[in-house]
Amino acid sequence: MEKNILEIQNLTKYYGKVLGVENLSLKLQEGEIFGFIGPNGAGKSTTIRSIMNLINKTSGRVLIDNEEFNKDDKAIKEKIGYLPSEIHLYDDLTVKEMLDYHENFYKRDIHGRRMELVKRLELDEKKKIEDLSLGNLKKLGIVLAFMHEPKILILDEPTSGLDPIMQNVFYDLLKEERAKGNTVFYSTHILTEVSKICDRVGIIKNGQLIKVEKVEELSKKSLTFVTVTSKQAQEIINDLNVNTVSEDGNTIKFGNHMPHDELIKKLSNYTIDRILIEEATLEDMFLHYYK
Amino acid sequence: MFKRELKINLKNFIIWASILVGLFLVVFLIYPSIINSENMEMIDEMMALFPEEVLKAFNMDISSIDSAFGWLKTEGFVFVLLLTGIYSGILGSNILLKEESDKTIEYLNSVPVTRSDIVLSRIFSGLFYIVLLIVTIGAFNYIGLAVSGDFDRKSYLLLSVTPLFSSIVIFSICLFLSTFTHKTKKTLGISLGLVFVSYFLNVLSEMGESTKFLKYISVFTLADIRNVIVDVAINPLMVVISIGITAIFLILTWIRYEKKELV
Repeated sequence: MEKNILEIQNLTKYYGKVLGVENLSLKLQEGEIFGFIGPNGAGKSTTIRSIMNLINKTSGRVLIDNEEFNKDDKAIKEKIGYLPSEIHLYDDLTVKEMLDYHENFYKRDIHGRRMELVKRLELDEKKKIEDLSLGNLKKLGIVLAFMHEPKILILDEPTSGLDPIMQNVFYDLLKEERAKGNTVFYSTHILTEVSKICDRVGIIKNGQLIKVEKVEELSKKSLTFVTVTSKQAQEIINDLNVNTVSEDGNTIKFGNHMPHDELIKKLSNYTIDRILIEEATLEDMFLHYYK
Repeated sequence: MFKRELKINLKNFIIWASILVGLFLVVFLIYPSIINSENMEMIDEMMALFPEEVLKAFNMDISSIDSAFGWLKTEGFVFVLLLTGIYSGILGSNILLKEESDKTIEYLNSVPVTRSDIVLSRIFSGLFYIVLLIVTIGAFNYIGLAVSGDFDRKSYLLLSVTPLFSSIVIFSICLFLSTFTHKTKKTLGISLGLVFVSYFLNVLSEMGESTKFLKYISVFTLADIRNVIVDVAINPLMVVISIGITAIFLILTWIRYEKKELV
């Protein structure tokens, strides 16, 4: 049986009367990379901040390794590695001092893993934090999130600022974590990342989780995109009852769930100048859910 | 975490201690040249021109400034009270809030520490530096007075301790106020205002019967220098009230911080 590592139960967060997230429930299993996608303001950060107890939940619970995670639970915190989207660390320290400080919070010896990560991410320990570029700051954030070998990694936009080479090193690290049986909660709006490394994906829209699906299933869905140029474009829209993605004069583009045979039979009733049927990319799928 | 807090606040402590030490160093260096019979006559004549209320405000009605210790008892301790008060106010406003203001709290919250750990390390670090500032000034002035001549050691020691009672209350109130916001710049003005308004009310309360009630709303009433000069004793009631108010505000800080949204 699959073991749940992170479980969010009916999470609701209102900022006064403004909705952050509503009734969000989610289970992450041991050894999976879960992509959490949605545009700005959809509720990704609110969800992550609620998990981390940075903000108070209006209602709902978060369980880590089947235990409720409350703000002062040190034992559970030891199991979590957290990388915020914007990293703010102590500017007066050097990278070495920051990593030493981090080591002090953990009873176990984590120095070996630290050295390994510093080497792989090519981080200069002598530099002062205030002098680090965005990319190097992100690398330091990654080392801090990974070095105590957490069972679950909560990562918010982890690759922003990383160059392509470092992004690949980072993806390798994630795959290694998955191979060890650790779990990754990966919040992003870069869809290519999701299709590249995630096992499952959750789509959040207006504070509500609207879809959770395996990435391979999502890609296999029968959604296609049809572009038609016809003087009867408006009639097609009305008669076939389609939701258009774009309309440009006589040219319309719409998402299609019908079997293609049925679609072509229906379209044969109209005068069609041009027709293009395309396989939907993950990005198209995502946009489709947001229509 | 406590060690890091001490390190972060060391620089500010050195600056504040240097200001106070520098101020008194100047006094000890120039006072012997001011205090001679010719100047004293002039000073006495000038003093006679001041209204009694003003002299009271600087304790000049109960102490003479004919010696360095005399000056300390009058203007000197007013400076110590005000400057340690301002230092404590700034410390209280910043020490807990800094992590939120600098947004480093997102990191600190993710490591295995409790919110109580965070609050306690800040409280102990803050109180440590307030005590250290008062001890530093006390020790420096003690040496300065010993070099300058004879003085009443008991009276001096009690006077040196007195600013502690107002400072810890200011620190705890400002710490509590800092739990209502996320930005240090919002609390800094409030804490400085608290110190100056409180001091002003204390001065006003000394000026007559009609304004006497103001002392009940001034933090500086707890550092009752006049009483120490006259009675050569610290009023135990003030000590109890000071510790009591401090404890209440520290507990309120802790309760509020436990529930606070950190971002």
